[in-house]
Amino acid sequence: MTGALAQFKALVGRELRTVARTRVYALLAVGLAGLVVALVAGGGGGQTGYLPAVVDLLLPLELVVPLAAVAVGYRSVVDDLERGELAVLETYDVSPWVYVLAVYVGRAALLAAVLTASLLVSGLVIALASAPDTTVYATHSGVDSPILWGRFLVLTVLFGLVMEALVVLLSVAARSVRAAVVLATGGVLLAAAGGDALIVVGLADGWLAESNLLSALAATPNSAYRGVVFETVIGVAAAGESGYAAPLPSVLGLFGWLVGSLAAATLLLSRRHL
Amino acid sequence: MTTDPILVGEAISHEYGDLSVLEGVDIAVDPGAVTAIVGPNGTGKTTLLRILLGHLSPTDGEVRYTGPEVDRPIGYLPQQPSFRPQFTAAETIAFYAGLLDEPAETEAALRRVGLADAADRRVEALSGGMRRLLGIAQSLVGEPPVVVFDEPASGLDPSMAANAFEILAEQASEGTAVLVSSHDLSLVDRFADRVVFLNRGSVIVSGSPAELAESTNSETLWEVYQSVIREPAARREVEA
Repeated sequence: MTGALAQFKALVGRELRTVARTRVYALLAVGLAGLVVALVAGGGGGQTGYLPAVVDLLLPLELVVPLAAVAVGYRSVVDDLERGELAVLETYDVSPWVYVLAVYVGRAALLAAVLTASLLVSGLVIALASAPDTTVYATHSGVDSPILWGRFLVLTVLFGLVMEALVVLLSVAARSVRAAVVLATGGVLLAAAGGDALIVVGLADGWLAESNLLSALAATPNSAYRGVVFETVIGVAAAGESGYAAPLPSVLGLFGWLVGSLAAATLLLSRRHL
Repeated sequence: MTTDPILVGEAISHEYGDLSVLEGVDIAVDPGAVTAIVGPNGTGKTTLLRILLGHLSPTDGEVRYTGPEVDRPIGYLPQQPSFRPQFTAAETIAFYAGLLDEPAETEAALRRVGLADAADRRVEALSGGMRRLLGIAQSLVGEPPVVVFDEPASGLDPSMAANAFEILAEQASEGTAVLVSSHDLSLVDRFADRVVFLNRGSVIVSGSPAELAESTNSETLWEVYQSVIREPAARREVEA
């Protein structure tokens, strides 16, 4: 077990050092921060307060976060597979779960840092640009507050971590770097839009009962993220506005996607190589 | 020092679907010796190496490692060793050393392959030959009793290729069992203690370069290659 821990640390260290020294990731961070600030400023929500900004950002981030996860992680495993690196690591007795978890932690840390920085900068812009009462820390519903922005940040990072796990799985499944781009982009977009589409079709065709709608929304990553944001951020400020989603099942649904993706990646990798 | 083989492959067969790649291959790798696998492209050399490494299960037959129980029993240099370009040579070796329970010395590993002066140079700034040497240094991290090299001289200039084989031979002289696949027959002739000729998934002949030359009335390993690989009739004669 000590060996596995040391190997995990070495692998995470390598991932972190790799991303820290890769210029394209710094550009990604700047680009993403710029995009989020532009959305906040351009949507008008930034001048009004945190909650309007959340409303402005929620839908774009449902697309931007998965794509950022792809940019950060699509090469993570397939690069090592293609270069024969995994065959070398196998001679050091590195187990698939240690490798997958370490690669995931390294890449997820980068994505979390990029998302956190982007939303913190945006939060600062809102604090400077919006009406004075947004600096109030809400103690009751109906008041806009930086705390709500903080919740939004945490939930967005969690959504990003889920998407990164899915991207790592797709990177294990890919046979080449070129295939990995297509697979990761297609996979996350399918997860992002496919779940919602399936729910709509299910309701329209009648095979999904309305009574099961909240469970279905909790089971797909985008609708789970959206639902939790509605329930714990937007709904807080609007008294009586709740019941859009089931918060606990939604959070569990997100964790299910995260753990399930990493477990599937480990299983697939042990069949392929390590 | 024991002379019993440390790594043995017995009656190894492997199929990819309907395609038979290896058929009943027997191979023994001795400690303190360089064993070379030689044969045309697509003859199953890399598949055999992967099976001996334990990275691929044979369809039939078995592989036995009889060496000491250590952190890393078998080291490996892939055909195209590739490292993170952002890392220095020293960081690269330190990373691999960090995967082992027993601490391994980074500086000594680089010194062994003549890269001590390039320790702080990033991989992206190393030449192809230096990267190959870094790959050899990686394969030796943790002092594995068996080291497998897949085409260590491929793409290298003659002096760098000879340098790579000199390191392998030096490692063997210290007791390591070295298994190498190569197309460079002059280097194999010069450095290998035992040569295994593989063709169409089967071992055609094996022995020391001198034994093989004698049995085929050849002067060089290239002539042996020509007679056993290119002339099936002569091969049958040798087998007889």
